[in-house]
Amino acid sequence: MGDYQLGEFEEIVLLTVAVLYDRAYGVSIKEEIEQKLGRKVSTGALQTALRRMENKGYLDNKWGEATNVRGGKRKKYFLVTPFGKKALDHAQESRQKLWSAIPKIAFDFGK
Amino acid sequence: MVNKPTHIDTTYAMRLLRRLIKPEYYEDIAGDLGEQIDLYKIKEKVIFWWLWKEVILLLHPSLLRPLLKFEKLKNSNIMLVNYLRIASRQFKKYKMNTAINLIGLSTGMAACILIFLFVQDELSYDRHHENAEDIYRVTVQNFTTDGDLSRHWAFASAGHAERLKEDYPSITHAVRFFPWAFPDLEYGDQRFPGEPVIFADDDVFDIFSFPFLLGSPETAFDDIFSLVLTEESAIRIFGNDWAEQDLLDKTIKLTARGQDFNFKVTGVMADMPDQQHFHFEYLAPLRLVAQAFGEEAMNNVGGNYNWLTYIRTSPNADIPSLTQSSVGFWEKYVDPIRGRPSSDFYKFQFQPLLDIHLYSNLEGEYETNGSIDQVYIFSIVGILLLVIACVNYMNLSTSHFTRRLKEIGVRKVLGSGRSALVMQFLVESTLITVLSLPIAMLLVWLALPVINDFVEKSLTLNLIDNYFLVLTLLSLLIIIGLIAGLYPALFLSRIGAVQSLKGKLASRPSKINFRSVLVTVQYAVVLGLIFALTVIESQIDFIRTSDPGYRKEAIIDLPLGRSFENLETFKTQLLASPNIEAVAYSSRIPTGRLMDSWGANFFRGDTAVDLDFRLPGIMVDEDFLDTYSIKLAAGSNFQKQMDTFADSIGYYIINRTAAEALGYDNPNDIIGENLRYGPYKGRIYGVTEDFHFESLHSPIVPMVMMKAGTRLRRASILVNTQRLPETLEHIESTWADFDPVNTVEYRFLEDRFEDQYVQEQRLSQMINVFTVVAILIGCLGLVGMVGFLIDTKTKEIGVRKVLGASVANVLGLIGTHFTILIGVAFILITPIAYYLMNDWLETFVYHIDMGALIVLLPVVIVMVITALSIGFQTIRAALDNPVKSLRTE
Repeated sequence: MGDYQLGEFEEIVLLTVAVLYDRAYGVSIKEEIEQKLGRKVSTGALQTALRRMENKGYLDNKWGEATNVRGGKRKKYFLVTPFGKKALDHAQESRQKLWSAIPKIAFDFGK
Repeated sequence: MVNKPTHIDTTYAMRLLRRLIKPEYYEDIAGDLGEQIDLYKIKEKVIFWWLWKEVILLLHPSLLRPLLKFEKLKNSNIMLVNYLRIASRQFKKYKMNTAINLIGLSTGMAACILIFLFVQDELSYDRHHENAEDIYRVTVQNFTTDGDLSRHWAFASAGHAERLKEDYPSITHAVRFFPWAFPDLEYGDQRFPGEPVIFADDDVFDIFSFPFLLGSPETAFDDIFSLVLTEESAIRIFGNDWAEQDLLDKTIKLTARGQDFNFKVTGVMADMPDQQHFHFEYLAPLRLVAQAFGEEAMNNVGGNYNWLTYIRTSPNADIPSLTQSSVGFWEKYVDPIRGRPSSDFYKFQFQPLLDIHLYSNLEGEYETNGSIDQVYIFSIVGILLLVIACVNYMNLSTSHFTRRLKEIGVRKVLGSGRSALVMQFLVESTLITVLSLPIAMLLVWLALPVINDFVEKSLTLNLIDNYFLVLTLLSLLIIIGLIAGLYPALFLSRIGAVQSLKGKLASRPSKINFRSVLVTVQYAVVLGLIFALTVIESQIDFIRTSDPGYRKEAIIDLPLGRSFENLETFKTQLLASPNIEAVAYSSRIPTGRLMDSWGANFFRGDTAVDLDFRLPGIMVDEDFLDTYSIKLAAGSNFQKQMDTFADSIGYYIINRTAAEALGYDNPNDIIGENLRYGPYKGRIYGVTEDFHFESLHSPIVPMVMMKAGTRLRRASILVNTQRLPETLEHIESTWADFDPVNTVEYRFLEDRFEDQYVQEQRLSQMINVFTVVAILIGCLGLVGMVGFLIDTKTKEIGVRKVLGASVANVLGLIGTHFTILIGVAFILITPIAYYLMNDWLETFVYHIDMGALIVLLPVVIVMVITALSIGFQTIRAALDNPVKSLRTE
């Protein structure tokens, strides 16, 4: 098993990128997280997470077309790499393992 | 709407972002930000703030471009490490040299830091008051009929403050301080005799910022019997745990002249900081005194300058024009004097609060102030010491160069550029400066208690709060490192590779080289300091030993309280002791100041003539002249029964200067003439020889002594010093019979006499210390210098000795060199030092003349010091067997 480093916020961003598939760029990711999860995301935090995961190899990017809406600036679309997928899988598995290891009695509150 | 995102590129926030962030990230991040402005419909007005917020949040290390190019950093690091390594090897190899440099630099820096702390403290006075810039002290100038300034008081009259505030709209607040004549304080069963309670107007807390630890400035003076304490006085009365006792509204009893008053504690202020030109321990509302004194006294606008008065003006008030228009104040409230407007005789001066400590030296200053001259003198001395220390370093490291020529040569051959060599030497000088700093700090720490004793301050080396000090230290490091290192760096790196490998310079260093200039500068500074010290010491000695014209030995000064009665019996009882030779009463005593001049006429026949000079005076009894051994030039002493106040007839003795001022060169001729002084017309009974009633700072002025039976508040007791303890005991027990309430407080007149010159003594002590430091540093330089000189002259000495030169000849060879340098320094510095010290001497009316001895003494001292510091090395070189020195190659 490889050593995947994935923080909680990074995981959310990575999942959101996957959700948006080929429409995942700065603003859309931010919007998606804010709407779906109801938590505030700053551009700074988001960009930091994105670039970090890019450096780790979880994300790939490609330039989009220039649009007038953005003052002639191109969008940068992010895509989950196969390695990124592995990291997500690993994260899910680890959680699953822990979930299934919880004895029933642990959540047996108040009875 | 569509074009809006483009313009964010030109904002400062985005420019900053573009500059700091990795270039490949900028485009899409900027695009995202632009899109969000549209998306969230961020309003035009807040875009600016929103952008800054976003940009600051974006400044995350993983998004930023690297600050330094890694490769370049690595290179310069390697070189720096190399420089440091070479430097530390140098230090280790030439331990003596390093030690001399360290001692020299650290002593110089330590002296500089001390002076910095002193100057900083002097400059910080009264700055803690929030409105300091708008606070002024009201002072009153008196002028003579001729329009000359006769007196300038630090105080104003009772009626001034209120009227100024009413009449001049730019004056928003005014406060008077009036000291209560030391009431006794009682709390519970505790008694504190003679506490310094000060009355103040209600405006006091709006003018000065006195932080309250308990209570508040708004309510402090609500009750007329309010008493505000300071932490110090609270501790004195209530003990260290006063804060837990809920002091508010506790009753404190104050007793003065047999009357009791019950005061309520309404607040406790923080102690007034040292850097304030007055210190009070108790404040009470002035309304109370106003009631006691009555309306007439409180409305007094001329004379009776006993009210320390401060005003606060509206911000940026025009003080010159306020002073100008205050002329009208006198015309409005004071009647014309002898047909001339009162404004010819009185003027207000509004002294800025921040100038009082350093610039003001008026009559009746509440506490002894500092002096701006002293600040200047010490700043100059500090800079000089720093110069000496730097010069010393330059001197030593260039002297040292012969030893390093080979190193420089090898470096150059191996391709070292000049800049690398310059860097090497600068790193060395900076490193040694950095190493000196902790030693300097240690020295400062050790010296501070002594210095604090000298200057009566509590200076501290506080690196945490005193950020200005830290800043100064850092800039000291850089400046010294650069200045000290620059010359050696440029000088040494200039030498060509071949020359240096050969181990000698192609051209012999000329006689006037830079190094000689440096040593001359050092000599000049040391000579100047010794000269100044000699002059100051001689002047102080002159003052202390010169005859003031009265006896100052074995006299005890005993101030009597206002309620002290039965002066005659007290005197008789004192004289009962065989050890007390005489007792005299007077209103004031020598070493103090004379009472201000009353109006006076002199009678030529029947016509009264106004005096065209001031005639200050004192009141005395019949034993005054004898007790002080003041000689009569003509006439006779007073009779016991004479009493100006009781008889309403004047009985006068004047001094010789007064007689001469009245036109009588022969004092015998004026005896029996009539004088009117104040309301009392009477005769002149005697003329005394002149004596220095006031300090030697001021000339002897005409004065009058009048015989009185009352208003004599000082007892001067001439004692036999052989049996002093018994005598003092007798005085104390006699005092207790007459005044059981107040404790006896006496001083020896000689102490008071010395106190007059305490400023000069302090100056001399400080200069003394710094001269020693300068000499020490200078000597270190000489030791290094002579080592170099001998190094370069080894061969010459050898050859001379072979040819028959004696040891004395060789000593002369080295000695001449230094003698010339001392001579040049002497010629350069003496005129400047002479001029400056002459200026200082002029502040004394009676002063020494700077004779040949004083001018030449510093040279002799410097010669001796030079001989001592270079003697050992020189003699050794001269004694060396020439065979040895000639064989070395």
